[in-house]
Amino acid sequence: MRLLCPLFLAAVLLSGCVSKPIDYYYGNYEKTYYHSKKDGTPSSIAKYKDSLEDIIKTSGEKGLRVPPGIYCEYGYLLSKQGSPDADRYFNLEVTTYPESARFVALVRSQLKQGQP
Amino acid sequence: MTHRNVLPLSLFALTLAAGCAGPQITKAAKFPLMYEEKPRTILVLPPINSTTAADAKGYYATTVSSPLAFSGYYVFPIEVTDDILKSQGLYDTEMIGDQPLNRFGQFFGADAVLFTHIRKWNKSYMVISSTLTVSVDAKLKSTKTNRILWEYSGTIVADLSGNSSGGGIGGVIAGAIVTAINSATADYVPYARLANVQMLQSMPVGGYHPKSGQDGDEKILEHGR
Repeated sequence: MRLLCPLFLAAVLLSGCVSKPIDYYYGNYEKTYYHSKKDGTPSSIAKYKDSLEDIIKTSGEKGLRVPPGIYCEYGYLLSKQGSPDADRYFNLEVTTYPESARFVALVRSQLKQGQP
Repeated sequence: MTHRNVLPLSLFALTLAAGCAGPQITKAAKFPLMYEEKPRTILVLPPINSTTAADAKGYYATTVSSPLAFSGYYVFPIEVTDDILKSQGLYDTEMIGDQPLNRFGQFFGADAVLFTHIRKWNKSYMVISSTLTVSVDAKLKSTKTNRILWEYSGTIVADLSGNSSGGGIGGVIAGAIVTAINSATADYVPYARLANVQMLQSMPVGGYHPKSGQDGDEKILEHGR
């Protein structure tokens, strides 16, 4: 809990020059994503997947909007792992962020062509 | 975030607070094109890395999207965009140079593209202190007009050691252990993210932010940081 103190301090100080932030929940996203890229092991990828699931679940519990790109990223990972649920998450990205429609269509078409 | 010591973050807080000092200008005066074009969606290109730290590219990419999201923008997921850029032969941002950016609007639906250039990524290990110096230039360019909407150039020095928490030789030894722990690569991620938070202070907020379009009078530093 000791780490909360400086984080809070940083937030207070920051608020002096920045307007109030939007509330998003990112959990362990950055750390697990980084390790999934760097290590590329099944366990690091599983942790990255868990963190995406945690973001979606926890955001729902807290009544927050899932951050931009997370549904799409999760759908993309599911698709690469051959899961039939991928489409559901691509659709959620577009419903949550209508400006992502063109991008999500591009992702779908790339996945159909077997690339990237 | 699991941190064993609190000092680096406190020091960071001080660095951030120091960002409020110096000659100031309003956001609207410094970046009028942001208010004219009102970009909503941002595509983050892989950083150009002119440092010898091969890892810097990876670290930086991981940490840039969430601060942009907190600033109110729709940010395309880096993991997915990187793969698509690779398949289109666009992964080397250096190659994009001054080419027209309208294809990023057409294919991705991006209103703007963020170019980042990592100029310095120096870790220095010493018994007494250990620091990470990150220098980054960033440019947000419109995919409609190719104009530079926002730009930034700055250096952040993070103290990774936290050894000042204890006195005497015991404190120095404890500090050295903390330094060793903190030098583990994963610990750079939060620092790089804080660096981005500082960088984005000068950027007018985007459409998802409650203050969107109303922060033009906010004061920022005239000459980056």
